[in-house]
Amino acid sequence: MTLRLGRHEFADDATLMMAIVNRTPDSFYDQGATWAEEAAFERVALVAEQGAEIVDIGGIKAAPGVEIDEAEERSRVVDFVARVRAAYPSLVISVDTWRASVGEAACAAGADVLNDAWGGADPELVDVAAAHGAAIICTHTGGVTPRTRPYRIEYDDVVRAAIDDTVAYAERAVAAGVARESVVIDPAHDFGKNTFHSLEITRRLGEMVATGWPVLVSLSNKDFVGETLDLPVGSRLTGTLAATAVCALAGARIYRVHEVVETRQTVDMVWTIAGRRPPLRAIRGLQ
Amino acid sequence: MTRVVLVPGALALLPEYAGIDDPVRNLRHACQTAVSWLGRDAEVLADDQGARVGQHLLDVTTRSVEQASYLVVANGSARRTEKAPGHLDDRSFAFDDQLREWLHGRGDPPDQALGQELLASTTGFSLMAERVAPWGSPVVDFDDDPFGVQYWVMRWEVP
Repeated sequence: MTLRLGRHEFADDATLMMAIVNRTPDSFYDQGATWAEEAAFERVALVAEQGAEIVDIGGIKAAPGVEIDEAEERSRVVDFVARVRAAYPSLVISVDTWRASVGEAACAAGADVLNDAWGGADPELVDVAAAHGAAIICTHTGGVTPRTRPYRIEYDDVVRAAIDDTVAYAERAVAAGVARESVVIDPAHDFGKNTFHSLEITRRLGEMVATGWPVLVSLSNKDFVGETLDLPVGSRLTGTLAATAVCALAGARIYRVHEVVETRQTVDMVWTIAGRRPPLRAIRGLQ
Repeated sequence: MTRVVLVPGALALLPEYAGIDDPVRNLRHACQTAVSWLGRDAEVLADDQGARVGQHLLDVTTRSVEQASYLVVANGSARRTEKAPGHLDDRSFAFDDQLREWLHGRGDPPDQALGQELLASTTGFSLMAERVAPWGSPVVDFDDDPFGVQYWVMRWEVP
C-alpha cells in the first residue's frame, strides 16, 4: 500500500528517515542544542541535506520535568512549522505532540504528520488528523500518562499488547476519517516499557509488521540500548544501529533518528541483504 | 549481405545483476544500439554464459529488418590493470592489439592458449571465424577497458 504522509506519497517498499528536531531546552540527547529557533532551523537544513525525508518537530521532552502548557508548546512549535514548510516544501513535517489543539495549529501551519508519542492520550487528535488530511503515528505506551517513566509495568505479552493497542488505535483513526494509507503504528520502545520489554519488541518486530500497517521505530540512543550495553547517552550509536538493523530486517518502514546518515546506511544495507533493494552499484565479478 | 555485431559478455548487462546505478551505462547503450541494427532473427555466437548476455540484448531490442544476422558475444583480456578481475598481465596489451587488428580484417588471430591465460572470452571469436569470415573494417561503437577488461562493440556488413 502506498504510504501517504500529508502532501507526500511514498512507494510501499520505501524506507524513510525521520530526523528528530527538538525545540526544547532539556531533551535527553541534545540537552537543548536546538532550543534556539535558529539552531533548530540549522538542524533542519542539515538533516534535509543528509537525505532525511521527514523532520519530527517536538516542543516537549518525553521525560518528566517542568510542565509545558498548551500555549508554551504552541509557541515553540507552530511558527517554526510554518517556517520549515515555506523553506522546504518537499520535506515531510511531523509534529511530536499528544495535544489535539497543538496538532490543529501545527497542521494549519503546514504539518503533514501528527506523531502521537503518548498513544492516544488526547482522543481528539485523530479528528484533527482527519480534518487536515494528515497522517498519524499510533504508538503503544501501555496506557501511561504522558511524560511519565515506567514503574513496575508488566505485560502478559508485551508484543501482543503493542499490536492490540496500536491496531485498535489505527482502526479508530480510520473510523474518524484518517486515510488508511496515512496511518502508521509504532511499538514505542522505552515508553511504558522496561529494557526487557523493548528488547522483546525488537526481537519480535516482524509480528507487528505482519499486521500490514506500516511500522515506525524510534530507537535512537534510548535507555534500552544504554542499559543493554551499560553506556551513557552519547555512546549508544553502535547499539542503536544494531537494533536498527534487526528492525530493518523485520521490515520497519520509518526510523525516527538523531543520526540520519549512519541510520540510512544501516537500513539500506539490511534492506538490500533482505532482497528488497538492489545494491547501489554492483560490478565486482560481473565485468 | 549479412549483418554482424560484436558485444562483450559482461554479466553486468544482465537484469538479474542490476543495481540502482548502472556501472555499464555507456556500454549498455552502445550494445543496444548496435543490436537494434541486426535482423529480426539474429543468431547468437557465444559460449553458454555469453549466450545469456546475447539473448538478453536481443530480448530488449526491437529489430525490424529481414536480414541474415549474427550477434557475437566475446571480449579481450580481463587482465589489463591491477584492479582487473585477473590482475595485471602485461601481455594483455599485445594480445588485445592483435585481436583488434584481426577484428579489422587484418592479420591472424592471437594465440588461443594465451587468451585463456588472459581470461579472454574467445569462443564467440572462433565461431565468428567459422561462420562469417572474411570480413572488412567494422564500425566501432565502443573500444575501452573500463574495469581492466577489453570490451568492443563493433558492426560489420559482410557479403
